[in-house]
This record gives sequence, structure tokens and C-alpha cells, in this order.
Amino acid sequence: MTEFLLTLAILAGINVLLACGFNLILGYGGLVSVAQPVFYAIGAYSSALISMKLGVPVPLAMILGALIAAIASIGLSLPSLRVSGDYLVIASMGFQLGIVHIINNVEITGAASGLSGIVSAVESPSRSMIYAVILMCICAVTIFAIRWLVTGPYGRAITAMRNDEDVFASLGRDAVRIKVTLFAVGSGLAGLAGGLYAHYFLFLTPDQYGIFSSATLLTMVVVGGAATVRGPVLGAIFLTVLPEAIRFLDLPIAVMAPLQGALFTGLVILFLFVKPEGLFGGKAGGGLDAWQGRDTGGSGRKGVK
Amino acid sequence: MNRISASQISRRSILAAPLVLGMPYVIGRAEAQNEPLRFGVADPLTGPSAIFGLDQMQAVRWAVEDINAAGGVNGRKLEAIIVDHQAKPDVGIAVVTRLIQVDKVPAFITAFSNVVKAVAPIANREKALMLSVGANSPDIKNLGDYVYTTFPLADVDMRALGSWLYTKQNKRKAAVLYVNHETGTEGAKVFTAAFKAAGGEVVLNESYEEQRSDFTGLVLKVRAANPDIVHIHSVISDFTAIVAQMRQLGLNTQVTSFQTAFNPKMIQELGKGAEGIIVTAMAPSAEDNANVPKYLERWQAAHKREPIGLPYTQYFHDAPYIMAALFKHVLDQKQPVTGENMRKALLAIRSFDLPLTNRITFNDDHTVNAPTYFWQVKDGKFQVVGKL
Repeated sequence: MTEFLLTLAILAGINVLLACGFNLILGYGGLVSVAQPVFYAIGAYSSALISMKLGVPVPLAMILGALIAAIASIGLSLPSLRVSGDYLVIASMGFQLGIVHIINNVEITGAASGLSGIVSAVESPSRSMIYAVILMCICAVTIFAIRWLVTGPYGRAITAMRNDEDVFASLGRDAVRIKVTLFAVGSGLAGLAGGLYAHYFLFLTPDQYGIFSSATLLTMVVVGGAATVRGPVLGAIFLTVLPEAIRFLDLPIAVMAPLQGALFTGLVILFLFVKPEGLFGGKAGGGLDAWQGRDTGGSGRKGVK
Repeated sequence: MNRISASQISRRSILAAPLVLGMPYVIGRAEAQNEPLRFGVADPLTGPSAIFGLDQMQAVRWAVEDINAAGGVNGRKLEAIIVDHQAKPDVGIAVVTRLIQVDKVPAFITAFSNVVKAVAPIANREKALMLSVGANSPDIKNLGDYVYTTFPLADVDMRALGSWLYTKQNKRKAAVLYVNHETGTEGAKVFTAAFKAAGGEVVLNESYEEQRSDFTGLVLKVRAANPDIVHIHSVISDFTAIVAQMRQLGLNTQVTSFQTAFNPKMIQELGKGAEGIIVTAMAPSAEDNANVPKYLERWQAAHKREPIGLPYTQYFHDAPYIMAALFKHVLDQKQPVTGENMRKALLAIRSFDLPLTNRITFNDDHTVNAPTYFWQVKDGKFQVVGKL
């Protein structure tokens, strides 16, 4: 049982990193992209292949995987300089489908058959315990770093850009730089999460990075509370543990299947209508309010950008 | 609060203490000896692949019932803990982790190549014996010490089909269509190589992405290539859609596929369009196994139909018999029931005489061999037309 709980904790930690990165882009930046799982994939495959093919030590391979994901994000952040809102969603969807298609057809990634034989990060009888502790430390550092970023002057600049890009630009501030940076940091975190996943679970397949993963991530951020530091963290933990808890109820398959399926899609809709600030968003400042510019009390332009 | 002072502790109570303290251990041991012998089964029970998984689980349940009705394993009941992996690797990792770490099964059976590959590192790391029953990617033989397949891999039946079509059916030009996922790419690769090696020409080799519904472009390419045979290596829904669109566009070329197309529902849906389709199967037919007709009667009596994917269900039906033999070997050797000892038992026994799949012998490379049967749809039913 301990081993099972540790595996669950590792998965939750990986999802925390993913959700925190996505929250920077979607929650704080107001940039509605669905391509976050692709950066997760880029980090996972890069890290796995660098360690397998070049013999690079796993921790270094993970860092390189995160950097490659951050650099690859320019492929999406550049179009976002010209488009926002619905158009960015479409651009990001195209980006995601394109990259997954490439992974699905390139031999070096194992193509549709998946990539196996990945080097394990830790070889020890206490492998899961060690991995869980390392992951918790990485998560803690990430959460504090994000908190520091968004509560400081740079965070206020991000909020101002999200609430009214035109006014922000008229003040002589560079929105382009902020967008590119947000995408790079958010995608880099996803890449790091990918590397951590690859070197623990030791198998990757393109199926894992489709549109369903985007929906799962969106649910974690929205249910937890977008544009807040703790919301996506707790949303990620909640939505990692909940499906496993449901499995332990041993419900009949006829009940279990629709319940699991509806969980991720239904919760987003429910929360946007009933509790737009998310479970842990607080009374003001998170979720839909933030996107609509109501958190600053300023004359933010209505509508999600 | 009641406290016992040192003076109140008698010599008798000191002597009795170890007995009292030891009771839970003794009771626990006795209970353990009567506990069922549990193994795991992970298969898709929901989602698009559940059409196969549900019938495969029926076969497993019947086998476990029959084994227990015949006295179980050394007087102990056999129990299958069945979980749903939805044919998704990430779900497979979650449910297999639970099987090994929470339910503490020493061995489990599973299927679907993408899931088998995803959970293989867990089986190896946790030293739990995994029997792949129904996944046919040739890579499965290289997945590690604790991964064995009871099911012949694609390099057996697709190699046989490629050769048989050229030598026995006089087919010279083949078009190969396959879905771009694990099963499709690997199976198509082996078939293409085998057909070419036999002397045939592959005039079209086209993949398509999953979840596609319109195959008109592919079918028009097939027509332009003018092959003698169209081999489709795909999931059953796509297979049916491709053949239906071929027939609608007036293309009546002979079609072949693998065991996934061994499906009575496919014949129902395609009607006359299914006539002539040839599929492979690696489980014995009624001519080679006297239990198969009784097994089919059981299906008719319980569900008023044949099972979906008959050959797969035969292998699933027989997997609990392998588990029972492994448990028996371990118990007879008076060893603890662990994954390590189950694996040792498999290597010690090697050959198993099974009710629906005859005798199987595990090779050193973790695979088994079996003859390939060729079935053809004739008058709305599958009939055996060859064996290699």
C-alpha cells in the first residue's frame, strides 16, 4: 500500500508542475492555449532520448529536456504575438496536433509503438520514496518561485498585460516579451514534468499527449482556481487522487465508466458556472474574475484574452 | 484507568503471554492457508476496446469457476481480480500498480500491446509475473525477465499469411492499409516483409491516423493500385468502415486481416460485403480441439451468440489454467507465493496442456509457437480454409 501511495504522490507531484506551468500561461497570462501537453511530451521524449542515445546523466537530461521544451514554446508564443482569444486556441490546437503527429511518425521516438528502455532516474529498493522526496522538493521550489514571480513587480506587469494589452503597451511596456517569457517558463515546467515522468514510469507513447490531456490539465487549473498560486497545486492533487479514490469504491463498471469520463469534462463546466474562482481561488482574484480583469479593480477590458 | 502493578504479574501470566501474543500470527497463518489464490487480470472493460474485453473476461470467469468446481488448487480457491485498463497505457499503469501494490497479486494477465509495454517496467521492477494474453506486437518478447506471452506474436501469423497468400492463393500484388498505432504498424511491417519475401509485390503501403471515419481517399488509392489482395491491419471499427466503403465504391477485391477481424458483428454489419474476407487465428479450430464446440455451445446457452474475437477468448479462457498450474507448483515446492517463485515455476514447467488452446510451450525468448489457421467468411460464417 505504501508503494501505491508513493506512486500516486509522484503522479500528483508531476501534475502539480504541469498545472503550475499551465496556470502561468492561462491563469496569469490570460493566454488560452491547449498545447501544454505537447511541451510535456517534448520534455519527456527529449530527456529520455538524450539519456538513452547520448549517455547523458538523467538529472542533466531532465534539465536539457526542460530547456528544449522552453525553446520549442517559441513556436507557439510567436503566433500568439499576433493572435489571442479564440484564434490562439485554434493555433495552439494545430501546434499540438502537429507535434503529436510528428512524434507518432518519427522512428527515433518509437513512433506509434511508444518508447521503451528509458533509463531509470533512481536505482534503489527505496526508489519510489527517494523519487517522491525529490519531486516534493522540486514542487516546493517551483511553487515559491511562482509566488515570488507573480506577487512582485513583474507579476503586476503580467496582470496589467492580461487585463488590457493596449493600455499596457501605451505605457511603453513590452507585452511581447512578457508573453514569450510566460510561455517559455510554463512550457519549461511542463518539460521538466515530462522528464520526471519518463524516468520514473519508463515508457512513453504519443497517446498520452492528446486533446484529453489538455482537458485534464484545464480541469486541474479551473477547478483549483486559475490565476492563484495554490489553486492549480491543490487542483492537481485533488484530480490525481479523486479518480483513484473512485476506483477503490469498486463500483459496477456501468457506473464507473461514465463517472470517470464525466469527471474531467463535467467539472470544468460546473465550476465555470457555479464557482468560477475555483475550489481554492479565494473570494476574489482568481479564476474567471482574473480573466475578466476584476481582480485589480481597474478598467480592465471584459472578456478572456 | 486500570493499571497492572508489577506485583500482580504472576509467573503463569508471563508464561501465557507469548501464547496470547502469538495467537494472531497462528490465526493469520491458518487464514492465509485458506485464503484464495489471487491473480490479477487487466483488460479493457470500458471504451472502444471493451467489445473484446468483456467477452474475454467472461472466458476468464468461466475458467476460474471450472477450476474451483474441480477442487481449486490444492484445495484452495482461485480468484481473479479483474480491473479495467480501457486499453490506455496511463490507466494501465494505475490499475496494474494497484494490483501489485495494494491487492498484492504475485502474477497478472493483460492484453493490448500499448498497455503491455507501458506496464512491463512495473512487472520487472516489482518482480510480478506478467502474462500477455492477446497482445501481438513483436516487441513484447524483449520487455524483460518478468514478461511472457501466452499468445503467438504478430511475427507468427502475419509471416504465415504473407507466405500462404502467395503460395496457396496465388496472390501476386498486395495493398497494405494500417492504422498508425502499435498493433497496426508492427503487424503491417511483418506482413509486408513476408509477402515480399515470398515473391509478391506490395503495390500500396498506406497508414492512416486513429479516429478517422472517412476512408474514401485510401479506397481510391487502392483502386488505382489494382492489387489482387487488400490487407487491412487495423482496429475492428476501422476495418469494417474501410471494407464497407470499398464495397460502396464498387471495389470487390479480396480482403485479409488478423484476429481482431474475427468478429461475427463485422459479418452482420457488412452483410454480403463480408463474403470472402480471410482472417488469421492462432487458436485451434473445432477440428483440432474437441472442447471448442462445447465452449461455443456454452456461449450460445449463456449469451445466444458466439464470442467476439473467438481466438482471443480461447487464450483468455486458458490463462487461469496456467496460473493454477503455477500456483500448484509453488505450493507443492512449499515456497512462498511470490512473483519470483511464480516465474521460476513457469520456467520449471514450460509446457502446459490447456483446454482450448492445446499444448503451449514457452520458448527461451518468452514467446510461444502455434500453428496459424486461416478462416474465410463463407455464407455469412467463418470457416477454416487453411492451416500453416
